Amino acid sequence: MATLFKKDWFGLLIVVIVSGLAIAAVKPAFLSHFNLYVLMVSTSYMLIIALAQMIIIAIGQMNLSVGAIGGLVAISFSGLMEVHQISVPVAVLIGLVIGMMCGFLNGYITAKSGISAFIITLATLYIFKGINLGITEAEPFYNIPETVKNFGNAKLGNTPIPFLIVIPIIITFLMWVFMNRTETGRHMLAYGNSVQSAELIGISSSKVVITAHVISGFLAATAGILVVCRLQLGTPNIGDSWLLPSFAAPVIGGAILAGGKVDVIATALGVLIVVIISQALVIFKIDPFFVQIFLGVMILIAVLVNRYREYKQEALRKIFNSE
Amino acid sequence: MNKKIPNFIFTNQFGLLCLVLIFIVIFSTVTDGFTSRFNIFALSRVIAIDIMIGLAMMVVILTGGLNLALGAIGVCAAMFGGWCMEVLEIPIIPSILLMLGMGSFLGWINGFITVKTGVHSFIVTLATMSIYFGFMTMLTEAEAFRRLPELFTDFGSAKLFNKYISPLLLVSVATCFVLFYVFRFTDIGRKLIAAGANPEAAELSGISVNTMFIYCHILSGFLGALAAILLTTRIGAAIPSMAGQLGMDWLLPAFLAPVIGGTLLSGGKLSVFGTMLGAVLVTLLTNGLYLLDVGEFWIRFFLGIILLMAVLLDRTREYFTLRKVIVS
Repeated sequence: MATLFKKDWFGLLIVVIVSGLAIAAVKPAFLSHFNLYVLMVSTSYMLIIALAQMIIIAIGQMNLSVGAIGGLVAISFSGLMEVHQISVPVAVLIGLVIGMMCGFLNGYITAKSGISAFIITLATLYIFKGINLGITEAEPFYNIPETVKNFGNAKLGNTPIPFLIVIPIIITFLMWVFMNRTETGRHMLAYGNSVQSAELIGISSSKVVITAHVISGFLAATAGILVVCRLQLGTPNIGDSWLLPSFAAPVIGGAILAGGKVDVIATALGVLIVVIISQALVIFKIDPFFVQIFLGVMILIAVLVNRYREYKQEALRKIFNSE
Repeated sequence: MNKKIPNFIFTNQFGLLCLVLIFIVIFSTVTDGFTSRFNIFALSRVIAIDIMIGLAMMVVILTGGLNLALGAIGVCAAMFGGWCMEVLEIPIIPSILLMLGMGSFLGWINGFITVKTGVHSFIVTLATMSIYFGFMTMLTEAEAFRRLPELFTDFGSAKLFNKYISPLLLVSVATCFVLFYVFRFTDIGRKLIAAGANPEAAELSGISVNTMFIYCHILSGFLGALAAILLTTRIGAAIPSMAGQLGMDWLLPAFLAPVIGGTLLSGGKLSVFGTMLGAVLVTLLTNGLYLLDVGEFWIRFFLGIILLMAVLLDRTREYFTLRKVIVS
């Protein structure tokens, strides 16, 4: 229990619980079956989008093309099923492979050229989005197989838990294991912390960068497929609005954008905070545009809090050093 | 005397100029109507706005940062100006000044937060982008201002030089010259570059780096508002979606022009005329691709490829110049 208090994400957990309870106390409808269902559905793909960005933040870079990869995979997935009559598992597989290839492209160019990932992923964002629009000519795919639609609507038994959330939970767990218990995951954090020291102790920088981008592409692809299941159609504009939330959750979760410090649990809690509060704004019938402002303000507050904590830690270190 | 000419030939700007000329020759022989009066006029209007957007991003890249909120600032300034002119019926010149003030103020907020928190401007401007855009949509209820004064909109459709060139282009080129003068010959301009190139050294030599960075952000907001004014006169209305969702449609031209023009992303080095030529090149290519019937949906794809090629080429050039330095 004592170790629990010391965790970085403990404060976030308190925020989640307190804000949840406070909203429920004012508006009991917040805990209604339907609302919990909606809450969990949006959590499900937001979680994966946030993790897709988090792993790139871990190595000290950023990936602007998360949404573009998700969108490209979403329309490939639905297009393959509708136009080419390909069975669902094969379409899922091809979708995931496309996502990983996109990620590989990002990682390969970034690692080999040494140009900042920001500019590379800005370029690939337009490339992926251009392919997406070029293929679809901005027309959605409507004829999604029933199995996919049913999967998107299914609930676990009589509970309000959507079936959709099962996959993100498994992925979050696997990501936790990956970042905390595997060599490659630790290498990524080391690389994000200090590129030079990581290379000096023999970590291959191109391997780390490419792996991180491939995983990011894989996660973006998964999110794209989940959104298709949820929306029951594949529209070309899936992924257009992912950029802000993808950064919001890891930043609220305390990831330092310089890299090397990310926490899967904290990111997941960051997603929960974003989702709960966005949902609360809907319940309180606040202007939907306010959600956007709110997300921006949340990012700024999170940044300030992180900064303050760093500052205090530094002050503490100075005290010990002087003794 | 002889030494000066080869130096110019090896610069990035000269390469760009050649590329621009090559593409002009290619497009005017391959496509119909590239050199038509209508097309050149249309091009000059688009180039004017792209140059301004590129310059607005360039001055922030100088600090080693970036300004994702540029499009949002532009749209906010445009909508504010539309409101001033249409609802408050403020005359045109004061309205324009108010728009520029609005842009500078929003830029100042970006700069202030970036400097005071020490957080990378990427995350700060990502947040302010959604805040600015959210407030703008809420206040305007996503309604456009379409009844702007005629004198204001006439400027955007006026034609000069035998009806070939839009006056908008003159505004942008004049801005380029002013910026060039400021960065090359004035005290403050040199300080801005010094602060971007090596903040610690600049601080030690008595330049307040934080103030300089805030100035850069203010200038970026100012130029963003100027770009928005040009765009508003061109469209003839102030529309909330004129820069796309969250103003993100400006991002690609904003980065393409300076990066192609040789501005270093790590800060400390900029090229005003390079940015201008970069914007010209990008607009020419986009226009040429349209005329070649590439289809509007594939245009983004090609622009992405161009950006990628540009940064990779720049990298190779850097590599070779570096090797030459080491060898000699």
